[in-house]
Amino acid sequence: MARPPFTNDIRTLRFLAGEMTQGDLGDRVGVTRQTIAAIEQGKYSPSLEVAFRIARVFDKPLEAVFQWSDEEG
Amino acid sequence: MNFREKTAWLNVIAMVAAYSLYFGLLLSGHPAGREIFPMLWLFGSIAVAHAVTVIVGTVILSAQAPKSERARADERDRAIRRRGATMAYYVLLVGMMIVGVYMPFIESGVPLANAGLFAIVAAELVNSAVVLMSYRRGWHG
Repeated sequence: MARPPFTNDIRTLRFLAGEMTQGDLGDRVGVTRQTIAAIEQGKYSPSLEVAFRIARVFDKPLEAVFQWSDEEG
Repeated sequence: MNFREKTAWLNVIAMVAAYSLYFGLLLSGHPAGREIFPMLWLFGSIAVAHAVTVIVGTVILSAQAPKSERARADERDRAIRRRGATMAYYVLLVGMMIVGVYMPFIESGVPLANAGLFAIVAAELVNSAVVLMSYRRGWHG
């Protein structure tokens, strides 16, 4: 499966948020732990709503969490 | 492997086992391929066995799964299900077209019913295969 044309820093942001687990983030965003894992691995592109919810959990702007990759886009 | 993926595997395995037996018996000359009551008995028995297997298996998998995995389907689960259903729709559409073309050439309804059942089983298998592949390899739905 081709990877999406953007990357994300969710793993790093979880680490900086006191090793927040994928399950905790999923609960706060309203998705399952597996979906957070799939987003982190680039196996699933979240909806705009979930992307914004993730950014809000970390109190960051959207582009601090998801970055467009010029190499692939 | 999460709960939803396990239930998708259960569906595939139960369906392949049940309907391989059904269509295998038809191909080997079982009267269910020609006569209505043998067909209803054989299909009914296999469909009930299939349903019981899936229900019991789902209950067991559900009891073993952590509570967090049994939560409501989220947007990724729904996107994957939509993808599977869309692919299966085309298989069913083509299958039913073939059944429709086949219809004027036969006198008995039994082979027609079996052809229709085959199209439904094939569509459901494609649905489950796409769902499993999407969970395994990823899906940017």
